[in-house]
Amino acid sequence: MLLQLTVSGIAQGALYALIALSMTVLYRATTIVNFGHGDFVMGGAFIVYVAVIFFGLPFALAAIASIGLMFVLGLAVSRGFIDPIKTGPHIGFAMMSISIGYVLRGGARTLWGREVLPMPRVFDIEPIFVGGVVITGDAMIICSTVALLLVVFFLIFYKSQLGVIVQAVFQSERGATLVGIDVRGFHETMWGVGLAMGAIGGILIAPISLLHPDLGASFLIRGFAAMTLGGFGSLWGAVVGGLVLGLSEQYLGAYVSTALIDITAYLVIIIVLVIRPAGLFGRQVAVRV
Amino acid sequence: MSRSPNQVTSVLAGVCMLAAVGSVHADETTGLTDTSIKVGVMGPFTGNASSYSKAEIGLIAYFKHINDQGGIHGRKFEIIQEDTTCEPAKGIAGAKKLIHQDQVFYLHGNSCSGVAMAVKPTIEPTGIPWIVAHAVNQDISKPPTKGIFHGVPAGPAYGTAMGKFVMSRPGTQRVGIITHTNDWAKNYCEPASEFMATKGVKPIVEVALERGQTDATAQVLKLREAKLDFILGCLYEAETVVFLRDAKRYGLRVPVMGTAGTDLENTLARLGDKDAVKDYYVLHAYIDNVDGPKMKAWNDIVLKYYPDETITGFSTISMASGVAAVKALEAAGRDLTRSKFIAELDKIKDLDTGILACRITWSADDRHGCKESAVAGFVNGKPTVLSGWNKPL
Amino acid sequence: MTESTANPRPGVARFRCVYYLAPVLALAIPFIVNEYLQFMANAVLVYILVTLGFNIVIGNLGQLAFANTAFFGIGAYTSAILMTYLGFPYVLAVVAAAVTGGIAGFLASVTALRGIRLYYLAIITLAFGELLRWVYLHGDKITRGSDGLLVPQPYFFGIAMDSETPKFYVFLLITVLVVKATSNLMRSRVGRAIVAIRENEAATASLGIHTARYIVLAFVWSGAVVGIAGAMFAALTGRVFPESFGLTEVIVHFGMVLVGGTSSIVGSVIGAVTLTALPEYFRQFPGMSELFFGIVIILVLLFLPKGLASLLARISPRFNERYYLD
Repeated sequence: MLLQLTVSGIAQGALYALIALSMTVLYRATTIVNFGHGDFVMGGAFIVYVAVIFFGLPFALAAIASIGLMFVLGLAVSRGFIDPIKTGPHIGFAMMSISIGYVLRGGARTLWGREVLPMPRVFDIEPIFVGGVVITGDAMIICSTVALLLVVFFLIFYKSQLGVIVQAVFQSERGATLVGIDVRGFHETMWGVGLAMGAIGGILIAPISLLHPDLGASFLIRGFAAMTLGGFGSLWGAVVGGLVLGLSEQYLGAYVSTALIDITAYLVIIIVLVIRPAGLFGRQVAVRV
Repeated sequence: MSRSPNQVTSVLAGVCMLAAVGSVHADETTGLTDTSIKVGVMGPFTGNASSYSKAEIGLIAYFKHINDQGGIHGRKFEIIQEDTTCEPAKGIAGAKKLIHQDQVFYLHGNSCSGVAMAVKPTIEPTGIPWIVAHAVNQDISKPPTKGIFHGVPAGPAYGTAMGKFVMSRPGTQRVGIITHTNDWAKNYCEPASEFMATKGVKPIVEVALERGQTDATAQVLKLREAKLDFILGCLYEAETVVFLRDAKRYGLRVPVMGTAGTDLENTLARLGDKDAVKDYYVLHAYIDNVDGPKMKAWNDIVLKYYPDETITGFSTISMASGVAAVKALEAAGRDLTRSKFIAELDKIKDLDTGILACRITWSADDRHGCKESAVAGFVNGKPTVLSGWNKPL
Repeated sequence: MTESTANPRPGVARFRCVYYLAPVLALAIPFIVNEYLQFMANAVLVYILVTLGFNIVIGNLGQLAFANTAFFGIGAYTSAILMTYLGFPYVLAVVAAAVTGGIAGFLASVTALRGIRLYYLAIITLAFGELLRWVYLHGDKITRGSDGLLVPQPYFFGIAMDSETPKFYVFLLITVLVVKATSNLMRSRVGRAIVAIRENEAATASLGIHTARYIVLAFVWSGAVVGIAGAMFAALTGRVFPESFGLTEVIVHFGMVLVGGTSSIVGSVIGAVTLTALPEYFRQFPGMSELFFGIVIILVLLFLPKGLASLLARISPRFNERYYLD
């Protein structure tokens, strides 16, 4: 049983890692935590559903369309909603991202209201059996996607020119502008990237969880917990945090009580922020006066 | 404050209410005109329980159908929908609006038990008739009050049907439970456990699966370890799918008894895998399969007024109490009052609604109109109504 | 520095009399509305206190602490439990709710004191609220879990609060008292210190002010106010459910604070009224409530970042409260 729980834990954890990773990328690039990210994940999934069911597109094409559309939406969000409130208090960003998420959720609910929809699958891979342990096709796809994205972003952030820009903007926007970096364009692009990653998440998650407007909510909190555990802003941390969270849920659920699965994320958040706020890989977080 | 378009009406209503010297008794013909009967339909039309409002949609379609047939003694239903979003505070506001502002003749609806219990203190003192058409908590209509009627099997009826089916399988000894931790699930699993206890069988293991969870590995593994004969599954639609999928995946091949919150056709459609559902049973309150010949006329009524609606196991359940209500309204005659309506409802005995497997019986001492439910399962790959283990109806 | 409530702007002190007029006018409400609208008026009063309390931490102290539903829920459950199991009269139940709310506020302040800020504080306070909700759900021996805890009829000094009208007068009294007390607090030295901490914590500390003390005080006061609101909520709805105190609720609270404006008590009142009353008006358009909520907030953030109260300030500068510092 332990082995199966571990495999499941890693599979679930990879989902959380995916969400955490996309939020971290956005945070690294813009210092904004996107509280509405869960709804963007749901949005990406819904676009694929509409494309496949109503427009009859083949799945691969629909997935690409969704990622593309969400990228464009990211650009629009940044330019139209985030940029104008830049001079306001930081809490404004939080509320704006939540509100945009609400609009997406409300729109999805108005269009699909009462139904819980089955989501077409990406690829149909048969599960592998190793001894008595089942490894599902979904798990393998998600894990490989997360690993791939991790490598891609690691290369971007640490090995490329773009990564230097990211660091520069993160440290000082004004300074970056002074040396000629198009900060606004950069922000827009990164919002697009963040949302596109969200769409990827939605496409992978929706076949497992079924498609409904509240899809995003539970994943958002898990994403936060993963980011907190791993340390805000750390790519590695997001992934490791997600995996640890997934494993913790499985172990606590099986060995202590299934009632704990729901609040494992919250316990993790509280324990980490009380004991070691920087998380596993994060930087110094506390403000000392 | 809100600039309600009904400000004038509410002022007049307020004055009239003051004139009634602070008492809250319902007026006998409130909500009636020469040509209309105002009925207030509460339901979770939006929000995360919105799939359950299909029941209210079916009911409203039935009312519209009656209107098209000429109404009742020259009066047509004027339907006022109120969205509770399955939240108590919104439900209370909606109930108050229907009773005190829209001034409806009677109330008919409610899918969410939590909301129904929350609005009961608002509704009960007024004595206004209220037919609960979907929510299952038995405490809504028990002990009986002046105007509250339960038009679907209440918790114990459903739970007992579940327990009976489980025990009808020969040699059932080891039973496990997987459930949500909310009152909806308790309304099913608790009476089921109680029934089984009377037969000397107690659940060996109980695991919780919460709404929104997409993985049931821990739960399935725990159940698998217990080597069970039967499992009670008190879960909503999406979580049932998650559980059955994971059960097949990890080799948990034990019959599962579900609730009235899911139906076989849609579960299969969502899972896409006949093998995963072959041991799944649900409560089936109807006399035929959802797409069976006896249900066709009813499904057609729903589709006539809501052409985009997908017919599921919820669509026609509230229409049965609608049939009963219409029967009572007709029996009360042209000279309709709330008391007469309630009296006629209490006279209904063994009413075959053409929809429910049970026959509705109401009396002033017992407002649980429906006490039985059948069970449905897959027999040779086809959903079939069963009266017991391996016993098609 | 002397503690003075005298206002350098002449006429504003006299103008403040307008604020006292509102509750007096409100006394007439039960005579002109039906039971449904009265219920909504009561709900508005509850949410005025919710928004007021939340604003102390988010607006005045400027911390992103989302523990509001935690305070709200604790106040509701405390009063409900004491009334149900120990037969407390309503006044004592409300006081007890304020106490437990204040304790919860103290707990929430601990993380802020340790230097947790911004998103971390937001997340840990959200987690705190959700944890409490889990406790309400699973502590069902006492809280009755998801069945909801039935609140017995509250008695206010012998008067039965059995319909919306007596509830209104009790709520109005409580609201006026709490608003006045909070207003006095915020216009005093304590309030100024709290706002100073928001503006520049280091500078404030360097002036010799014990920032820790004032941070804790802000959280405790906020917790107490929202705890009282929770007790009112319990009396309003008659049955206390765990689901009423989740994430969606805290977002509604946040919305009220932002729409009204973080800088003034008038703002809190406006925000509470707007986001409680308007969605009811939109009942006739089902499905729109989420869309409506999101769009309103977006519009306010884009075009009226200081909230609706700033509209009032443009009409008449006399609406500028003393701590309306920008």
